Amino acid sequence: MPSHRAILHVDMDAFYASVEIRDQPALAGRPVIVGGAPQRRGVVSAASYEARRFGVHSAMPTATALRRCPEAVLLPVRMERYAAVSRQIRAIFARYTPLVEPLSLDEAFLDVTESQKLFGPGAEIGRAIRQAIRQELDLVASVGVAPNKFLAKIASDLDKPDGFVEVKPDAVQDFLDPLPASRVWGVGKATCTELERYGIRTIANLRRQPRDWLVDRFGRFGERLYELARGIDHRPVVPDSEAKSLSHETTFPVDVRDRETLRARLLDLTEQVARRLRRHDRQARTVQLKLRFADFRSLTRSRTLPEPTDVTAEIWHATEGLFRAALQGETRPVRLIGMGVHELVDPAAEPHIQPDLFAEPQRHRQRELDRLADAIQSRFGPDGLRRGGAIKRQ
Amino acid sequence: MKLTIQREDLLRPLQITSSVVERRHTLPVLSNVLLSLRNNSLQLTGTDLEVEINARIPIESAEEGEITLPARKFLDICKALPEGASLELKVEEGKVLIRSGRSRFSLSTLPATEFPNIEPITSPLEITLSQKDLRNLIDRTQFSMAQQDVRYYLNGLMLEFAPDHLRAVATDGHRLAKCDASISLPVAENRQIIVPRKGVAELSRLLDDSDTKIRISLGDNHIAIDLPDVTFTSKLIDGKFPDYQQVIPQNPDKILTCSRQALHESFSRASVLSNEKYRGMRLQLEGDQLRATVHNPEQEEAVEEMQVDYQGEPFEIGFNVSYFIDALAAIDSDDVRVKFTDSNHSCLVEGADQDACQYVIMPMRL
Repeated sequence: MPSHRAILHVDMDAFYASVEIRDQPALAGRPVIVGGAPQRRGVVSAASYEARRFGVHSAMPTATALRRCPEAVLLPVRMERYAAVSRQIRAIFARYTPLVEPLSLDEAFLDVTESQKLFGPGAEIGRAIRQAIRQELDLVASVGVAPNKFLAKIASDLDKPDGFVEVKPDAVQDFLDPLPASRVWGVGKATCTELERYGIRTIANLRRQPRDWLVDRFGRFGERLYELARGIDHRPVVPDSEAKSLSHETTFPVDVRDRETLRARLLDLTEQVARRLRRHDRQARTVQLKLRFADFRSLTRSRTLPEPTDVTAEIWHATEGLFRAALQGETRPVRLIGMGVHELVDPAAEPHIQPDLFAEPQRHRQRELDRLADAIQSRFGPDGLRRGGAIKRQ
Repeated sequence: MKLTIQREDLLRPLQITSSVVERRHTLPVLSNVLLSLRNNSLQLTGTDLEVEINARIPIESAEEGEITLPARKFLDICKALPEGASLELKVEEGKVLIRSGRSRFSLSTLPATEFPNIEPITSPLEITLSQKDLRNLIDRTQFSMAQQDVRYYLNGLMLEFAPDHLRAVATDGHRLAKCDASISLPVAENRQIIVPRKGVAELSRLLDDSDTKIRISLGDNHIAIDLPDVTFTSKLIDGKFPDYQQVIPQNPDKILTCSRQALHESFSRASVLSNEKYRGMRLQLEGDQLRATVHNPEQEEAVEEMQVDYQGEPFEIGFNVSYFIDALAAIDSDDVRVKFTDSNHSCLVEGADQDACQYVIMPMRL
């Protein structure tokens, strides 16, 4: 085994907008916004670089975006189209390695360590993939090449759009040191403010802090900061099909105290995880909840399900139970919430499954519901259909 | 308190009442049996706070009183005394002295006032039926009760009192047993109660196959059953039993008929080689041939073939073989009918000549 891994992070530039512009060449050069209608309080899903020049960015209310850039072309989200293009992109990845971990439709990690014997150094593979995407799909990707996921992700982001950045194993520290601390994975606004109080602005500043100092202030996340500041990240690239667990988490822009907001976000995450589980024909035995509080202390709680399942309602039932128990008497605001499923089993490979007399008819209905929801979701995108509880009550 | 009693008169009542006494308990007095002598009747009571059994023995000329003494030790002493022995029992200075022939025992006691009583049932619903009817209902269903299931309402036997029947239903979520006694009951509408597992086990030990009438008294939280010389009282499980009707197959169209005993023996042989944990058995039906196949992790295999009466399409289904064996053992009929819908839905097992009992078994995906 080679002493260094070769990890690629491939990130499509302004993906939804680029697909739209490619499909309608008349839009080329114009500011394009893909998102929900302003009358329905829609938000921007993607903006072309022309639109970004006006200060438009994703997650911004469409109404605000159109005020900033009145001449922008507003297009509806066509999730099915983007999913189809995403599959074409993944087919290109698959030529070089089976170890592809998709993060979303437009972003993926690739482990090409072993592929180097066949296709040459990681950087060459990265260039070949970028070129294939451009030539065959007429789309632009930014690629980062590095010895681990953390560095690869920073690298792909550094020279966007149409970027290509390689971080060589012996140049990691020189690469990281001048970067602002906010580049570190998991460091958001709140952490930045906290770090700035101690005069920490760059990763070099961060690296000078002793491990204990970081742990005292940030708990387990402090350990992670210590390692990341040194470019250490051992997380493997895990293809979904081999995943031993699946999880999603969200860091809030501002710490959240409101239980309903947290619960709604958690339900959203649960739906996404359950959908991924079903997409890979797996069932989960355990469910895990993760919370990080404003003081950076984290908490994880897990629960074993009565029997392995891929039914959203059953996974949510367990997750919500953990959530309620975890927040019992809790006063700290929450900065991150996440959930995951572990101990995945392949029902087709399970030798014996004894279904329950009473749960089975209910399960049957829930499965139908899930199948319908999955179909709607893949057609209309994540906002196409949501469980009642996930819509925040005002 | 002072009395004389024959060993044979004491033994069975003492055995019955001691059997509810748990080895481990929260109160010291719960390991004791209560003796209470009044109006020429000796009453023995054992309890675990959930189930109480009270037995009565007629006694001539004695000194009245009440006391509690260690149930287990008292029973062991009685069992160990020779047949035909006579026991003289008296309370003296906080001890119970037992003399029989040349044996003498001095047992510790606790005051009767410490002994917990289950409160008497107020304004009960009263029902009279024969011992054997109740025993039959319990024997044919109790093996399907759940054990320590989180669905606590499954850890017991459901009794349904209806104007025209008394019905027992037990289920552990994987199989269900249902049995009816056609008797008219003084109720206007159906009432369901759940008797906890332990109470069911104790009760079935008390009942025999006679036509002797017994009286059931139903309160809000308790059931009491009066047998000659014995009263059984149990708390009820406070919960709602699931809608069992909904899981009984509605229109199973694949129907197999065969000898109950032959099928029971065939499955019992096959089960020897089944996986100890999952007990999976594959059934294949084609024409009039039934084939049961069983495997275990040691790669051993049992195949049982049998001629049956079957007209449906050929098909395959998996089951926990133990569930089938239990049901077949409980059915009182020469021939059985097994009714299937398809390999994903539960099947119904019943006697060919009577439909008082039905057994529903959920298939297993193998």
